[in-house]
Amino acid sequence: MYINWQLRELNLKIVYYGPASSGKTTNLEQIHRRVDASHRSDLVSLKTYEDRTLFFDFLQLELGKISGLTPKIHLYTVPGQVRYEEIRKLVLRGADGVVFVADSTPVRANDNIIAWHDMKLHLRSNNLSMDRTPIVLQCNKQDTLGAMALVEIKYMLHVQNLLGFPAIAVNGEGVLDTLKAITRSVITKVQHETAYA
Amino acid sequence: MKKNNSVASVEMPRGLSLSPSQDQLINGILRDYLEKCPAQLILLAELSGQIISVQGETGKTDLVALGALVAGDMAASQEIARLTGQYQHSQLIFREGPETTSFITEAGDSMVLYMRIHKEVPMGWARLIILEANRKLAEVASKPAEDVEKIDLQLSDEKLENLIGDGLDSIWHE
Repeated sequence: MYINWQLRELNLKIVYYGPASSGKTTNLEQIHRRVDASHRSDLVSLKTYEDRTLFFDFLQLELGKISGLTPKIHLYTVPGQVRYEEIRKLVLRGADGVVFVADSTPVRANDNIIAWHDMKLHLRSNNLSMDRTPIVLQCNKQDTLGAMALVEIKYMLHVQNLLGFPAIAVNGEGVLDTLKAITRSVITKVQHETAYA
Repeated sequence: MKKNNSVASVEMPRGLSLSPSQDQLINGILRDYLEKCPAQLILLAELSGQIISVQGETGKTDLVALGALVAGDMAASQEIARLTGQYQHSQLIFREGPETTSFITEAGDSMVLYMRIHKEVPMGWARLIILEANRKLAEVASKPAEDVEKIDLQLSDEKLENLIGDGLDSIWHE
C-alpha cells in the first residue's frame, strides 16, 4: 500500500495466485478487455516463448475520485509453473490482498492444495500473515466436465469461511465479482488498520 | 491496540505513506539530480511498483508499466544477489545501451529509483549522483510525516467499501 496524502491517492496491490494454468492471466485479460481504456493501464505481460507467464502480468485500474479519495488498484499475477517458486514469492511482496484462483477440474485438485500451501509459505516469508491478509477464492473453469463445486474446493483447502466465487474466467463470468470482493476486503482492512493504529 | 479515530494519529501498519511536505521534498530532489547529472528521466516508485514521482523526458513511455517493471527488476536482482551470497544494501543495477544507460537502485527500505542518462554522461559521475539521490530520498521517507493531520482521507467513511464496489461496476462493460 502506498498513500500519497497530497494527491489523496490510495494505491493498493492485489495479487492473483494459484496453480499453473488455473486462469490467473485470463482474469487480468478479461478485466483489461472489459474496463474502459481511460480507467486502466495497458496489460503488461512478461511471458516465456511458450506464452506462459514468466515473471508477472500487471494491470492498473483507476476508479476516479470516490469520497474525496483516488484509489488506484494494481493487479498482478504470479507465474504458476512449479519452477518459478522464487518469483511467486517476489510478486507477493507488499501485497494488500490475494485472489486464489483454483482450477475446478477434478484432476487438478492436488495442484490446488500444493499451490495453497505454497502461497501460505510465501506470505509468511514476506511477513504477511494469513489472518491479516484479505484472501478471496475463485473456483475457475466451472464449465469443465465434472468441475468441483465451490463448496467442495473450500472443504478440500480447509477454508470453509473464506469468501469464494465460481467462475468461468474465459467468458468473464465471476471475474468482476471476485475483483469487487477482494477490493472491498482490502478497503475494509485498510479502514480497520487506520482506525485502530 | 488502542482505538483512535483522529486523522492526526493515522499510521499505516504496512507500506509507504508520504505527506505533502515529503512529496515536495522528493520532487525537489529528483528535479535537482535530473539537472545536476544531467539525466533524461528519473522515476521513483514504491517497492511494489507504484509510482511516487517522475521527472524528465517521459515522451510516450508507459510510466505505470515502467514503475512495475523497475520494481520487478529490482526484486529479481536482489533475489539473485541473495541466492549467490552477494546481497548488500544500496545495490545498483546497471544497463548499458548504445545510446542510453540506465541505473536502478534501492532508495531506503521501501522505494526504488530508476535513472536514464545519455551515453555522453560519464558513468562514474552518474553512479555517484544516483547513490547520493538514493541516500537523500531514503532520509526524507524515513522521517515521520508531520503535516498529514491537516488532511482527512475519509478512510473512516463507512460507505467507502460500497462506493468502491460501485466504482468498479461503473467502469465495467459486459
